[in-house]
Amino acid sequence: MNMWRTLIANLIIFCGIAASSPAVQTAPPAFELPLLITSAGQSADVSIASMLAKKAELTATLSKLATGKDLENHKTLVLVLGASMKGLGSAGLDTDKEYERIRALLAEAKKKNIPVLCLHLGGEQRRGELTDKMIEEFLPSAKMALIVKSGNKDGLFTKICKEKNIPLVEIEKTLDTVEPLKSIFKK
Amino acid sequence: MKRAAAIFFFTIALLTAFSCRPQKIRMPEPPQDRHVPFNYVATKGMVVAAHPLAAEAGLDMLKGGGNAVDAAIATAFALNAAEPFASGLGGSGFMVIYLAKAKKVTVVNFREKAPAAARPTMFTEKGEKQAEWRQERGTAVGVPGMLAGWNYALKKYGTKSLAEASARAVEIAEKGFPVSATFSQINKDEYEKLLKNAGEDSCYLNSGIPYEPGEVFKNPELAATLRLIGAKGIDEFYKGEIAKKIVAAVRAKDGIMTLEDLAAYQPVEVEPIKGTYKGHTIYTLPPPGTGGFHIIQLLNVAENWPLKDWGHNTPATIHHLSETMRFIFADKDHYDGDPDYVSIPVAELISKDYAKEIRSKISAEKTAGTYPYGRFDKVQDEKENTTHIGVIDKDGNIVALTQSINDFFGTGIVPEGTGFLLNDHMADFSTDPNSPNAPRPNRRPVSNMGPLIMFKDGKPFLVLGSPGGTRIFSSLSQIIFNIIDFGMSLDEAIEAPRFFSYTTEGKARPISIEPRIPEAVLKALEKLGHKITPKEPYDKYFGGAQGIMILPDKKLIYGGADSRRDGVGAGY
Repeated sequence: MNMWRTLIANLIIFCGIAASSPAVQTAPPAFELPLLITSAGQSADVSIASMLAKKAELTATLSKLATGKDLENHKTLVLVLGASMKGLGSAGLDTDKEYERIRALLAEAKKKNIPVLCLHLGGEQRRGELTDKMIEEFLPSAKMALIVKSGNKDGLFTKICKEKNIPLVEIEKTLDTVEPLKSIFKK
Repeated sequence: MKRAAAIFFFTIALLTAFSCRPQKIRMPEPPQDRHVPFNYVATKGMVVAAHPLAAEAGLDMLKGGGNAVDAAIATAFALNAAEPFASGLGGSGFMVIYLAKAKKVTVVNFREKAPAAARPTMFTEKGEKQAEWRQERGTAVGVPGMLAGWNYALKKYGTKSLAEASARAVEIAEKGFPVSATFSQINKDEYEKLLKNAGEDSCYLNSGIPYEPGEVFKNPELAATLRLIGAKGIDEFYKGEIAKKIVAAVRAKDGIMTLEDLAAYQPVEVEPIKGTYKGHTIYTLPPPGTGGFHIIQLLNVAENWPLKDWGHNTPATIHHLSETMRFIFADKDHYDGDPDYVSIPVAELISKDYAKEIRSKISAEKTAGTYPYGRFDKVQDEKENTTHIGVIDKDGNIVALTQSINDFFGTGIVPEGTGFLLNDHMADFSTDPNSPNAPRPNRRPVSNMGPLIMFKDGKPFLVLGSPGGTRIFSSLSQIIFNIIDFGMSLDEAIEAPRFFSYTTEGKARPISIEPRIPEAVLKALEKLGHKITPKEPYDKYFGGAQGIMILPDKKLIYGGADSRRDGVGAGY
């Protein structure tokens, strides 16, 4: 059963890459462990991502307020897109400070050649003005995007990924993320 | 001739008999789009509640011969199973009951009490971590009154046993149900708290992550707990094995509750407070339930204004009502507390004279700027939690019941093996150790709940209540204005866009508003000096009201349920 699930996950990823890249035989981006998982917007989805990484048996550090320094000893930056006023408030941030943090973090990741994997796990319910602005700004920095399908009903993710040549993998529900994550990190 | 006359009179008798048969009401189906106003229609009894399974449990109780109190408690138990994030055994509530035969209104107060070891500085001494200790640690848990309150009401005014009233809840918890988008979103929002306190393996998470809409939620431990209580009575909860588990869970998270606190808990029955608005009489909770008495304050101030001429949600209406809310908040901060321990001048606060005084301070041209009646906590709660039930039975008995575990999913703490969540109602105490609402031994924290029953010409007319924290009193008042002043139907009044404002330390906060209110109105309000904070078009920040309207001349009962949550009506 596990072998079949892995095969199906690989197929989903391959189809995602094939669908978003002009050349069908584009090599998938190389992602390595360990991961640094952080939030763009401070929604609870970042903790969900951490749990999913745990289920996929990936070595990961969760740091909701990660800065450039936290990239040390990590090989992939996982950016979980999802804004929450409650989350920002609890973190003592406003949207401006959150934008500053992510911009600086992405700049440092680029400098260190650390690839970015974007996740959007909240589906349709985790879309709105705040989150959409973050998607538009930060998704283009990704080497790959893994999203819950219902969050892409209006095609926003498809549009950005196509424009920027970013492989996009869509899954039906959050728990389905585990197998693609394993495949991406070759577990 | 005689035969012809006999046939004639027989025919007349037959026709008369047919015309006197009760007309069957054709019940329309609710629309797919829940935002479209829809009034449930009934002739004998109605239940409105925040989940279809719970409303159904109440209706079945009515149809099975239970009275309004039986049905309200059955619905309340069922909500613990079907809407566990908003109320349950680990929480508290208030019930306004109208007894039709005696023509009497009474209130059952089953609000939590602070443990005996509570102190005014118990949270402030935690410094920056105060919020966590008030909402997620064991210190956040007040002694739950829910079960004691339900039991009291059932024994005194109901006809069914605890086991009978909880039977449907047991079924729901055992069989499970597909979660709604509302449940899923709230589950996601509270994920970190649930992971930390309930644990990865808790039924409140689905394999360690939040539920997606449509996934089935089951709570077999809650079913077992309810069966145990049904068999052994409430002493099992307050003095027996469940009590030990509650205390163990609370103290494992640094709480201060003891077995003695639980054993000592008693609900209390009190007289309602009464107000009037344009020929209608309102019965609602006295303190520490403050939603009701602030509703009466707001209605009193608005009564002499030409709301109908100004129009629904026009700049003039929103400006005047927002300013009134700000003055009321000044009173709220200065006076609200547990009346068993502090003196609250309720009669003065809800008097028409005092309303005149507030009115004189409100200008049509600009905001007042300062609202000098006292301070308010810096941390303004954004809570959208709590839940409300309304019931009327065939004899005209009525229950308006609002109940809660405070924040959605409460503290997230689940006593081992019991399946229910513990409240974080200690967070409703003031952060100011000198406040009349500071935490002190055995005190009940102030509550924003405000279930009410309104009468017209001496007969029950409207039953209302809502969750929504500090927005409860303003949301319910707006529903009342929508019906009485703006002529809306019940559910139109409930679905109409809402707004809210308040003060902190005497200064006005922005008006939070549902952006279905036109842009031109918002611009006009800004010109008057208001700041505006738009929310979602149907934002549960403003509550999830449930209502029943009784029309005796038409022999009809309407039910209205808020699309901001999962509310429905069920009638027969």
